[in-house]
Amino acid sequence: MNNIVFGKYIPLDTPIHRLDPRAKILAMLVMLVAIFIPAGWTGYVVLALAISFVVKVSKIKFKVIIRAFRPLIFMMCFLLVVNILSVKQGQLLVDIGFVKIYADAIFNTLYIIIRLFLMIMLTTILTMMTKPLDLTLGIEYLLGPFKRIGVPAHEIAMMISIALRFIPTIIEETIRIMNSQKSRGVDFEEGKLKEKITAVVSLVVPLFSVSLQRADELANAMEARGYVPDAQRTRYRRLHYVRRDYILLVGAILILLAMIALALFL
Amino acid sequence: MAIKFEKLSYIYSPDMPYATKAISDIDLEISEGKITAIIGKTGSGKSTLIQHLNALLLPSSGTLTIADFTITSDKKPKGLKALRRKVGLVFQFSEYQLFEETILKDVAFGPKNFGFSEEEAIARAKEALGLVGLDESYYERSPLDISGGQKRRAAIAGILAIDPDIIVLDEPTAGLDPRGTKEMIALFSALNKKLHKTIILVTHDNEIVYESADEVVLLEDGKVVCKQDAHSFFEDRALLKSHAIIEPKIVKLKDLLMDKGLKLDNIYSIQDLAVALGGNHE
Repeated sequence: MNNIVFGKYIPLDTPIHRLDPRAKILAMLVMLVAIFIPAGWTGYVVLALAISFVVKVSKIKFKVIIRAFRPLIFMMCFLLVVNILSVKQGQLLVDIGFVKIYADAIFNTLYIIIRLFLMIMLTTILTMMTKPLDLTLGIEYLLGPFKRIGVPAHEIAMMISIALRFIPTIIEETIRIMNSQKSRGVDFEEGKLKEKITAVVSLVVPLFSVSLQRADELANAMEARGYVPDAQRTRYRRLHYVRRDYILLVGAILILLAMIALALFL
Repeated sequence: MAIKFEKLSYIYSPDMPYATKAISDIDLEISEGKITAIIGKTGSGKSTLIQHLNALLLPSSGTLTIADFTITSDKKPKGLKALRRKVGLVFQFSEYQLFEETILKDVAFGPKNFGFSEEEAIARAKEALGLVGLDESYYERSPLDISGGQKRRAAIAGILAIDPDIIVLDEPTAGLDPRGTKEMIALFSALNKKLHKTIILVTHDNEIVYESADEVVLLEDGKVVCKQDAHSFFEDRALLKSHAIIEPKIVKLKDLLMDKGLKLDNIYSIQDLAVALGGNHE
């Protein structure tokens, strides 16, 4: 449970931390688009270098980011199998009777894996390097223009920030309940199917009851402080773009243009 | 069942920039058949320490020996179930572990997990509920419908039903009313005196420590400051002062009386004090 990396903010003071959250979100979106442009291997090398540079600046150990991939290994293997069975193009690599592996199957899978890798890397950097509160503030600002067409920007931001706020709490709660049940002899790792079901029930029931109780308390606390979702409000913190934010955005856009150029001319 | 910590350290999130050493180089022996209180400020490592006692946490380095079980930093310990049968851990706010439809079923859950038959588990559950003072009328009620104090007792019964030799309780009285607290203290004393259980108590409340504990372990910043007899611990005014420990009311009262010239040595309970002041015994 302690190995859950995704979404966990790491309090450090690096240039990446100090960037404007809006700039970070926009740059991430631009980079995500760039990842999906079929620019061949050269393109991926450029992207990987750019993202690795950001990781380097952010002072996070690669090991920690690699950990975020672990849950996806199964999916990637599954993908490989499906591709091997379905793709029948390119050079024939292996031919053992009914199994024929073509070069394109391997390449396609590799492409997807690299894309996923880069995507997860980007999003992990964003959530690790940005305070959840800043992140929602950024989202709220960015959604601002859409208010006119009826997008409840503030409500969305509030919901996201509450959800983010409670992820660590719920993880903590889960660990505590798991530990309590382990002390009562529940084995979460091994056991027959029936025992496993009991183990899960002994975790899920208390977790739901605690979470609902917490939600209720939070709603009461918000109401007690006079929270009205659509009230006009001012901010203590305002966001301002500074030079480093422009550098980041220009950099991201340049990479996107480079990808487009590579895709068109190579 | 002697408990022995040797050079035990535990580090949270060792690979992260915010890795923290919760406890370091703990050398500690906890005596069998006694009530030992572990005290210390929030964040001093109390909860981390006790979670090692049934291997919910494995040490980053060092060893813990409990009778013939040895827990090291080895990732895949053997005989965990047997250890957890011997050491029962009651968590802070243990009432959140309740999940069955009836209290009786919930208390019987532990013994069933440890391989007791249905009837035996129910028998043990009834016995444990008796110990914590929940009578037959509670057996068929939902654990989610009773009061907070009763939930707490049902949760403790859930551990008692397993019949462990060592019972570890993390802040068992937090959030209970004065009466609930008093009953809880009486329960620990009874478990210790009548059933000869070794009890380890983590608490903030020095009144409870003074009233029930035989020995005190003081933790600070993940290290053991001292381990001594509870009464002599609270007599050591310099130690209390240097670690900002609030003395129990009776010690304070004794101090005030001694300041006025009364001689009150070797007095550790309200009864003794009353007798010393000329009251009747009992």
